[in-house]
Amino acid sequence: MTKPVNTVVIVGGGTAGWLTAGLLAAEYQANRESGLKVILIESPDIGPIGVGEGTWPTMRLSLEKLGISETDFIRECGASFKQGTRFAGWLHGQDEFYYHPFTPPLSFNQINLARYWQPLRDRVSFADAVSPQSQACEQNLAPKQIATPEFASNLNYGYHLDAGKFSKFLETHCVEKLGVTHILDNVVAVNATEDGDIESLGTQSGATIQGDLFVDCTGFAALLIGEHYGIPFCSKQNILFNDRALAVQVPRTTQDEPIASATLSTGQRAGWIWDIALPSRRGVGYTYSSAHTSDEKAEADLRNYLSGSVGASLAESCAPRQIKFDPGHRETLWHRNCVAIGLSAGFVEPLEASALVMIELSAKMLSEQLPADRSVMDIVARRFNDKFLYHWHRVIEFLKLHYALSKRRDTDFWRDNCSPTSIPADLLESLELWRYQCPWHQDLPHVDELFSSASYQYVLYGMNYKTEGPGIIRRSDKSNMVTADGLFSDNNKRRKQLLNALPTNRELIGKVHEFGFQKV
Amino acid sequence: MANYVMLNNVEHQNVKVITERSARYGDDVHFVMTFPIEFRRVQSFYPIFFQKDASTGKFYPIALFGFEAEENLFLKENGWDSNYVPLMIRRHPFLIGLQNAPEEADANRSVVSIDMGSPRVNETEGEALFLPHGGTSEYLASMIEVLEDIKVGHEMNAKFIDALLEFDLIESVSMEIELNNGSKRQLLGLYTINEERLEQLDSEALGKLHSRQFLLPVYMILASMSSFRTLIDKRNEQLADL
Repeated sequence: MTKPVNTVVIVGGGTAGWLTAGLLAAEYQANRESGLKVILIESPDIGPIGVGEGTWPTMRLSLEKLGISETDFIRECGASFKQGTRFAGWLHGQDEFYYHPFTPPLSFNQINLARYWQPLRDRVSFADAVSPQSQACEQNLAPKQIATPEFASNLNYGYHLDAGKFSKFLETHCVEKLGVTHILDNVVAVNATEDGDIESLGTQSGATIQGDLFVDCTGFAALLIGEHYGIPFCSKQNILFNDRALAVQVPRTTQDEPIASATLSTGQRAGWIWDIALPSRRGVGYTYSSAHTSDEKAEADLRNYLSGSVGASLAESCAPRQIKFDPGHRETLWHRNCVAIGLSAGFVEPLEASALVMIELSAKMLSEQLPADRSVMDIVARRFNDKFLYHWHRVIEFLKLHYALSKRRDTDFWRDNCSPTSIPADLLESLELWRYQCPWHQDLPHVDELFSSASYQYVLYGMNYKTEGPGIIRRSDKSNMVTADGLFSDNNKRRKQLLNALPTNRELIGKVHEFGFQKV
Repeated sequence: MANYVMLNNVEHQNVKVITERSARYGDDVHFVMTFPIEFRRVQSFYPIFFQKDASTGKFYPIALFGFEAEENLFLKENGWDSNYVPLMIRRHPFLIGLQNAPEEADANRSVVSIDMGSPRVNETEGEALFLPHGGTSEYLASMIEVLEDIKVGHEMNAKFIDALLEFDLIESVSMEIELNNGSKRQLLGLYTINEERLEQLDSEALGKLHSRQFLLPVYMILASMSSFRTLIDKRNEQLADL
């Protein structure tokens, strides 16, 4: 029996809901009579949590697919450019820092520069040796010039953005341009068919909303996947301890304060503090482990961090908002005709900004693989589950890597994090191997890994991980060493050029507001 | 060093301007901004492209004279070797701007400035600006016309570019040239009219462009491409003479 998929109903109107709605509507031409019907129902009473404020470079593609102009996006979402993350105090808890930039090491597909950087490790940091981006970030430079076309780059970049403004911006675009039907109402009933599919949703105002596929974007509430279907949640707190966050918005004290081009992540006694720079404010938050500190102590640590940049009195006046979460994900993400995207699917601490990119990837696969008919939906669902459970597995492993390499032993938080019992076996095994060889393409076998081996290299060598000398000299070493020397000096040249040519983040954002980017 | 001051017939009574075209006077440029009002004359000698202003990212049309900085293939020992010298070359050492005195009623009156730092400016040689009794010389009158054209041209450029962008008619182009001596060169940062898009425009869009007098300039740019070949030939001639 066939039952075509003609209507997709998305429940929840945060960033997850609107991104999913938009990507589906754009691809399946919801604004045409013959297109897919995309309905987004959103509670008028529950606002979005608004935690995702850092994106990956993938967001540029997502925005382009949605038909959004980069200029409009930057102007209306209070956005700035993000080129990676600067980790401070993760290794020793002092002033030391390293970068995980978005640009992979030079010629990463041709040569594993990490192997040839090892003898230079005391003279130059890994990121500085293989990419110009870390130094561009140190100087708060933008990843491009005003004459660079929209979405094009001189250095790879994503964004920092105001999550509240972003979901409003997406809402307007989805409704006005892409033909998404927007319903403001509370879902009060989930009506099932005999075989257990969701047939329709009943709303507070008495409406019944029919659909062929339902997307759960209801955040931590997980109305469909959790409450209705009872899909169990896999907690990963035994690996990633952080289960709380205190978030504040810090206004800019002056108009010309530099805007950092990287997310700043600073290790604390029982977690770490994120610091995200927007043109008009900073978003700062402490994510910590409730097993290792109290809320009061965490708040005091956050204020202490803030007072370093804005002074004690402003730091005292901030009112942090607390978010509690269980780190982990659903056992199944797509069940029958319901798929969870966003916080309903899972959430871990915002280290490496995995939240928005997981939404983008989920929406992208949903859009590329949208089953034409109910009869083939289970096949797509199985593949979707395989892929995203793998992604979750890898996210958790990669986040743990940041902790596992620390030399901090000042608190139980860091001691427990470095205890082998809290480190996944796969990661322990890889770390063993990487003592003798530098990770490269073979170490992460999938074509669409969330974190490539380049990311592993930046974290490993940023955290001063020692990969032993070359061992037996390989036949390829001789020519590779010449190539590597050339690339290291190319990188020096390119860095000099870029540092001269790139405006600061603040200058460029000012110009985007004044002149805008050209499309070509 | 450029040193622009507002022109007046008291201070500048005795000033003369050398009008010769030469590298000595800064004419060794490989392009200048051009304007739709002169496209017809420009296109018969020089290829017209668009370029971006590095500080704003905004497009503007240029007439190309050479393939690298300071290479002006129209500049010869005895002056400018073509029958039309573009406005932005002719304007030197003058500049036109708006009166910078917002409190005055005629704040938008355009004013003429002269670059007293220009090597063209002196008191012994060249064209006088003012007549002995203070009136404007024929030379200065003709320069004021040039400057007025430039002022109108700037305003028109902004509207012209907006219209082209509205219809996605600007595309990036990579011009690769090979000279007779085998050397190759790639010109970067140039943009031109997207012909494919132009051909696809419906009559409504074409009508819009036409009614704003932008259709003819578009075709003038396309026609100017034949001058690109002339430019290569000139460079080859120069190489042969060496």
